[in-house]
Amino acid sequence: MMGEKRAIEIDAGLLRAIEEHLGELSAGSVEEYVEVVLRERLLSQGFLSPYTPEEEKEVEKRLRDLGYLD
Amino acid sequence: MKKVAVIGLDCADPDLLEEFLPRLPTLGELVRGGSFSRLRSVDPPITVPAWMCMFTGKDPGELGVYGFRNRTDHSYGGLGVATSARFSAPAVWDELGRRGLRSILLGIPGTYPPKPVRGLLVSGFLAPGPEADYTYPASLKEKIAAWVGDYILDVRNFRTEDKAWLVEEVRRMTEQRFALARRLVTEEDWDLFAMVEMGPDRIHHGLWAHHDPGHPKHDPESPFRDTILDYYRFLDRKLGELLSDLPGGTQVLVVSDHGAQRMEGGIGINEWLIREGYLVLKGYPEEPTRLGDLVKAGLVDWSRTVAWGEGGYYGRLFLNVKGREPQGVVPPERYQELRAELAERLAAIPDENGQPIGTRVLRPEELYREVNGIPPDLIVYFGDLSWRSIGTIGWDRIHFHENDTGPDDANHAPHGIFIAYPKLDNRGERSILEVHDLILSLVGGE
Repeated sequence: MMGEKRAIEIDAGLLRAIEEHLGELSAGSVEEYVEVVLRERLLSQGFLSPYTPEEEKEVEKRLRDLGYLD
Repeated sequence: MKKVAVIGLDCADPDLLEEFLPRLPTLGELVRGGSFSRLRSVDPPITVPAWMCMFTGKDPGELGVYGFRNRTDHSYGGLGVATSARFSAPAVWDELGRRGLRSILLGIPGTYPPKPVRGLLVSGFLAPGPEADYTYPASLKEKIAAWVGDYILDVRNFRTEDKAWLVEEVRRMTEQRFALARRLVTEEDWDLFAMVEMGPDRIHHGLWAHHDPGHPKHDPESPFRDTILDYYRFLDRKLGELLSDLPGGTQVLVVSDHGAQRMEGGIGINEWLIREGYLVLKGYPEEPTRLGDLVKAGLVDWSRTVAWGEGGYYGRLFLNVKGREPQGVVPPERYQELRAELAERLAAIPDENGQPIGTRVLRPEELYREVNGIPPDLIVYFGDLSWRSIGTIGWDRIHFHENDTGPDDANHAPHGIFIAYPKLDNRGERSILEVHDLILSLVGGE
């Protein structure tokens, strides 16, 4: 899920809160935390797919090979 | 407040464990000095959703996840793999994180793509491959590569007749997972450590016939007759090494999501539905074909189809209901009657010699505290899970003694294992749904 990076602006207070709590958030950087939180939100709402079509086919094939699906 | 280490062994079976226990020094000591219970899994007793049921305390109906692949809508082809996005209920590590406590999670099915956690997360085998972002934080992946090399998410080419290769691959995966676990518990900070090793499941499915004299394909002369025991002895050593690295006073739980039993054969659920007139095709395939491919090709006559099924270790049956499915034909007022008819007839399917096989047919609303998402209308345990459900079409028969996707010797059984060390209590049986609250109470910190 790595892709091209683009710059956006976020509220400075929000940024400060993330920076101050990076350790407790277990994140390596603000960017990493913001990306993973946004990804989780978009995935849960169905606006982003967890897999590319090729990955989904591969995972389904593996699940069939493992006997979980047929 | 104490540290809790949950060591998950996918598919570890209580009867098998008791049989092997005299040869397993680590597990033997844990059982003798601790508590041992049979752990009743959820229905269906399948890796996904069972592990996430354990860690959320929610049943499949509450989670709205009934297997590895679930209906995403009422269309005929709308199926999606159950990734972490499908699990919205807070897991035990989310609740501990809110208390300011850290968790390390390793290989738990249902955790890909990784969600943020207060701690570290290495997701499970539903990650598409080691090149994917399978950890939280993402930078953990580099650490893993430095510690153990290329990370093995799962055994590739599992459906093989080359058993020597399969055994070697499973051992390699287990060795690496435990090596990584040892690094994580010793070099990182944690209050909860929870891992799942898939090796026992892969070994059971691949080699059960070689171990079990009652299996129809058992060969007493097989060179692999002791392979499952040998694997458990290896696993026992790995477990002992990991336990020796845990800080003193850690509460250890060794658990599994379900057990294992011999697979007698398979029942062609869609072949049976076709034969009985419930599923109507526009053309019968010349070679075994998945129903999904027939749906995509427009070869199912939905205007005359009452029900269709999905295969796997258990069967799922869906009714084609008017006003619910796009071309539904079952009037809603006849739904219960038709479902009862199908349940009764599926339960009565005998083996090829006319002998009953003890099939159980379950209704979601009778199993679960809530029913969310889109459940199957019926959940079918052919031969009480000693027969699998074959969903492909084109065989012109309904009984199988081989799997349609390659060799497989075992099916799932409803009881897994629960070992607590130090001892908690001596209950003979627990529910998998109790583990979440137990972990919270053991870790404490509220």
